[in-house]
Amino acid sequence: MTRQEILTELKKVIAPYTTNKEMLAHINEDTDLIRDLKINSANLVDIMIDTEATYKIEIDYDSADKMMNVGTCIDVISEKLK
Amino acid sequence: MISTGNDIVSLNAIDVARTKQHRFYSKIISASEKLLYDSPEFGIIPFENFVWLLWSIKESAYKFLQRTRYDLVFNPIKFEIDQLNIPAGFKTVGFNAEGINGCGFVNGPVLKGTISTGANQFYSRSLIYKEAIMTVLGCCENFNNTYWGIKKIATSDYDIQSAAVRTLLIEQLQKVLPFNELTISKSEWGIPVLLSSENDTRIPVSLSHHDHFIAYSFQLPD
Repeated sequence: MTRQEILTELKKVIAPYTTNKEMLAHINEDTDLIRDLKINSANLVDIMIDTEATYKIEIDYDSADKMMNVGTCIDVISEKLK
Repeated sequence: MISTGNDIVSLNAIDVARTKQHRFYSKIISASEKLLYDSPEFGIIPFENFVWLLWSIKESAYKFLQRTRYDLVFNPIKFEIDQLNIPAGFKTVGFNAEGINGCGFVNGPVLKGTISTGANQFYSRSLIYKEAIMTVLGCCENFNNTYWGIKKIATSDYDIQSAAVRTLLIEQLQKVLPFNELTISKSEWGIPVLLSSENDTRIPVSLSHHDHFIAYSFQLPD
């Protein structure tokens, strides 16, 4: 999958957990999950679980440390898909 | 540094079925923390509430550390609850008031914990209601000068919650600080601090909101 294809799918994963639909519509690799998309931290585990199910990957504890924004989420997913 | 970390979880907003799934809770609590739940004294707390109790303690520690480690990512499994004491005869009660404010934790059933991550150790105090769990955390065991508050508000809108928790905190600060024109500002890294037009002291404050609940904590010098 290309980074753009991953981004398109990731946007669907994130959608149920953000109320900032305008920011979601303009999501890019610099978008911060908490500060920009206003996602409550309590939903971050939901996003991780849904990401694992969508891409059929397992996100280990060290990888989870890297998932700060959309770009680093795509980095982790790309690495796991290899 | 005189500081606190604080977190609130609305139990009406959690997904109970999902929280009970191993693939979910294993990202929040470790195997040894799961064993803690299996001890008899915790049997009166539903497992999903236990998971979110530990989450609130760990997130409070993360918020404390974030003041000096700006690029820290919250990864709950990297915070370890070393001890968690539940008072004898503990019983969960309803959050029957619109709001509660306190200083220290001398009254009421409070869960006391110690938590570590790397070389850092913290002390926590948690309150569990039927509707919400709130934790305040600091780096020393003395909470005598730690102020905290919880309020239930009508809306769960993110921006309104954010404004409401600031208003609540300013109201309480003005009761204990001799300054006017208090404002809550955010540092370059998004960390909240209290500013006064009459004093250059920057007091770290911790704010949280989830669903219909908002909460704050701060510590004043002795």
